Parts: sequence; C-alpha cells; structure tokens
Amino acid sequence: MLAGKGFKQVFNVSGGIKAWKSKTAIGPQDLGMALFNGKEAPLDILKTAYSLEQGLRDFYLTLEKTEGNPKAKDLFIKLSDIEVKHQRSIFTAYNRISLLDISQEEFEKQVESSALEGGLTTREYLDLFKPDLNSEKQVVSLAMSIEAQALDMYQRVSAGISNPESKAIVLKIADEEKAHLASLGKLMDSL
Amino acid sequence: MKWMQFLTPAKSLDYQETEAYIAEHPSDSITLLDVRQPSEYQESHIPGAVLIPLPELTDRLGELDPEKPTLVY
Repeated sequence: MLAGKGFKQVFNVSGGIKAWKSKTAIGPQDLGMALFNGKEAPLDILKTAYSLEQGLRDFYLTLEKTEGNPKAKDLFIKLSDIEVKHQRSIFTAYNRISLLDISQEEFEKQVESSALEGGLTTREYLDLFKPDLNSEKQVVSLAMSIEAQALDMYQRVSAGISNPESKAIVLKIADEEKAHLASLGKLMDSL
Repeated sequence: MKWMQFLTPAKSLDYQETEAYIAEHPSDSITLLDVRQPSEYQESHIPGAVLIPLPELTDRLGELDPEKPTLVY
C-alpha cells in the first residue's frame, strides 16, 4: 500500500513484533508526553532531560543501597555513573546554548526530578518488570528496558516539537539512548 | 487503477536485519511504523515506533514522510 502511495523505500519487518528479540517499549503513544508540551525552548528540553537522567541515577543508587550482593551493587554504581556522564553532556550543552557559565550545582537547582527516563516512576518500573535485583542479568535487563522506554519516549516526543533546535536536541538524546542500549546489550552478552 | 501498489514489492527484513538497520540510521532518518491495534502497541512495541492502525492508514498517510525509509510491522 505504502509503495503505491509514493513511499520511496518500504520494508516489511518479517515476523513482526513476535520475531523481535531486542527490548521493546510498552504503553500508549502518549506515555511520558506530559513531561513535554512540544513548545519548549531548547534550554527547557535540556532541563527536563537532565531531570529524567537524575531520576534514573537516584533510582540506581537507591537500589545499590538496598542490595546485599556485591556484584549487583557494583553494577548499580556502574549504571548510575553512566547517567552521570549523560547529565554532564546535557549540562555542557546547556551552558553552550545559553551562553552562560553556571556551575552544574546551580543548574541542578533549576531542575526537578519526578519521573525516570521513559516517563515512568521508580515504583512503576519495579512493579512492571519485577526484576530479581540480585541477578546481574536481570539488573542489566531492567536497565535495558528503561533505556528502550527512554528511546521510545524521546522519539515520540521529537515528532511533536516545533522548534528545530529543540527537536535536534531531543533526537540527539534519543540517539545517545540508542547507543547506550547497544552497549548494555554487549554488557549483557558478557555476563 | 494504481498498479504500482500491487506491483511494487516491499523488501522484507528479518529481526537481525531490522535491528542492524535501526542501529545504522539516525533516529530521525527512518520511520518505524506499527500498524497493529492500539492495545497491541500498548502491550509491546519496537522503541520509537509510530502507531497508525491498519484500518486508519489510508486516511493518515499524510502524517508520514514518504521520503524516509519506512519499516512496517
């Protein structure tokens, strides 16, 4: 149908979702969209993205404190460190675009964290995936699920953003989430 | 009659080819199109997929960019 309507390249994903073995996202198309209204300026987008990374970092650190298994603890630290890198990159972009030179501490005061990447809360993720937090594989699997959810959300959000610079920022973050998901996949294979 | 729609074959990509295709292309350069029902999408979908249920597809084609490679499931 699409090919006959002028679509240049159409591919059929054979087997559909049943054949898909990588992480999937869940929820309706508007999940997490309340975090963005589509009219944000680039700086507001960066603040929201930063807060989502912060939420996920706090989530991993909370789990690290509650778990007894040293390997799982190490993994949570590693995962939270990755979020710190993402935050650093978002903060750097904020200073570059705003032409300000504020400290990361000052910047953090301007952002609020209410949800994790992907638009769900900590409790919602745990209830949804029910991971055995002592199992390294299940911890990485949980992290991959969250990243898949985040990738999904940023891509959906990008479609509704009118400001080209804001859109480019969201798409860049989406691509970073995609790369993060791939690296977690490699980590999973190494376990 | 638009014969193109009957004669133009859509190439199939298996799971591994699809995953590689998505990994190799920036998020904004392709469209992942989910044509199932909303309840199926809600249960599970490929991250980044746009939902347009098959019965609505002809009426909503304007929401898609025909210039972008479109992967449909």
